[in-house]
Amino acid sequence: MKFKEKIKLWSNIYFTFLKLGSISFGGGYAIVSLMEREVVEEKKWVDNETIVDIFAVAQSLPGAIALNSSAFVGYAIAGIPGSLIALMGNLTSPVIIILILSLIFSKIRDLPAIEAAFKGIYPAIVSLIAYAGYKIGKTAIKDITGFGMMLAALLISVVFKIPPIPLIIAGAVLGIILTASKTRISCRNETKKGRQ
Amino acid sequence: MAVLFEIFFMFAKLSLFSFGGGYVMFPILMREIETNGLVTMGELADIIVIAGMSPGAVAVNAAVGVGFKSAGLAGAMAAFLGIAIPCAVIVILVATFFFKVCKHYLVQSALYGLRPVITGIILYAAYKIGSGSGIFNSASEDMITPGWNLSIGSTHILEIKSIIIAIAAFILLTKTKIHPIFIIIGAGITGILVF
Repeated sequence: MKFKEKIKLWSNIYFTFLKLGSISFGGGYAIVSLMEREVVEEKKWVDNETIVDIFAVAQSLPGAIALNSSAFVGYAIAGIPGSLIALMGNLTSPVIIILILSLIFSKIRDLPAIEAAFKGIYPAIVSLIAYAGYKIGKTAIKDITGFGMMLAALLISVVFKIPPIPLIIAGAVLGIILTASKTRISCRNETKKGRQ
Repeated sequence: MAVLFEIFFMFAKLSLFSFGGGYVMFPILMREIETNGLVTMGELADIIVIAGMSPGAVAVNAAVGVGFKSAGLAGAMAAFLGIAIPCAVIVILVATFFFKVCKHYLVQSALYGLRPVITGIILYAAYKIGSGSGIFNSASEDMITPGWNLSIGSTHILEIKSIIIAIAAFILLTKTKIHPIFIIIGAGITGILVF
């Protein structure tokens, strides 16, 4: 890739993640739905299955999920520079907003309008995350076994409050056992596209 | 200068050991703050609220807040780097490895089982936020007051106004091409009007 094109791709990555970072209220899982839309549907940088795998790995690593998945998607698009640029883009506006809020928070904390706005925003965030689950489920769940595993993971989380990592490991082990004799193909490596 | 290093290493450590996302960081962060006294507990509580209100990863937001409160802009920078550097290093290492092995048969079958589980975990995240913000099945201290709460006995079922907002948002997300940012802004305005 020519230098000029590289710069173009990099700034494109930066601004995409700047946008994602600016609107992802509700923490790590809220960004999943937004990122899927931007990176898979609009920009077509990675495919549907790769993004699900990226979220899976990003959650299993230590640290904030939003950061891990940004860095991971950035890597899938344009290698190490892509990873760092996505990370920086994702962090720019939260950091600025935090600095401003730290200064003025004591003055606005009890404004009823702010409180009421958040009472309206949280239900929308719940739907946004549920929508991410719905969209990802369409690619992730291929048969009735998959549906059962999804349901089991959800119920086990709700009832027993088991953290994600043991569940993810159990899912992986079950997957290996269930496909013991079948071969599966997919998982296109989209990194090449960004590096040419 | 020493305080900047202290902030940097505290958050680098937190970033390395918080498996399971940002919220896991808070209990560890509280214990760290108790021993080093960088900010007071009251200040930390405010910082956590601000961190939750702002977009982006809650852990990073809280880190930047703590850094800023204890050592100004330089402190914020030190906290930011402390969180971001371990994350970048780990992800780059894992990503390099992952894209090399992801075509392998064994990895493929693991992913076959893992993807539905991720879907379940994401749906659980939606449940958790809904339950924690008084929308449905909430503990009494999380309930929206005054609100149109529906309960059976002492079990909270749902709060009608926020459920309507949630359903409307879900329909808009699935049936229209409206960008989520406008749905979030619209929900905020609706909140001001109805609560």
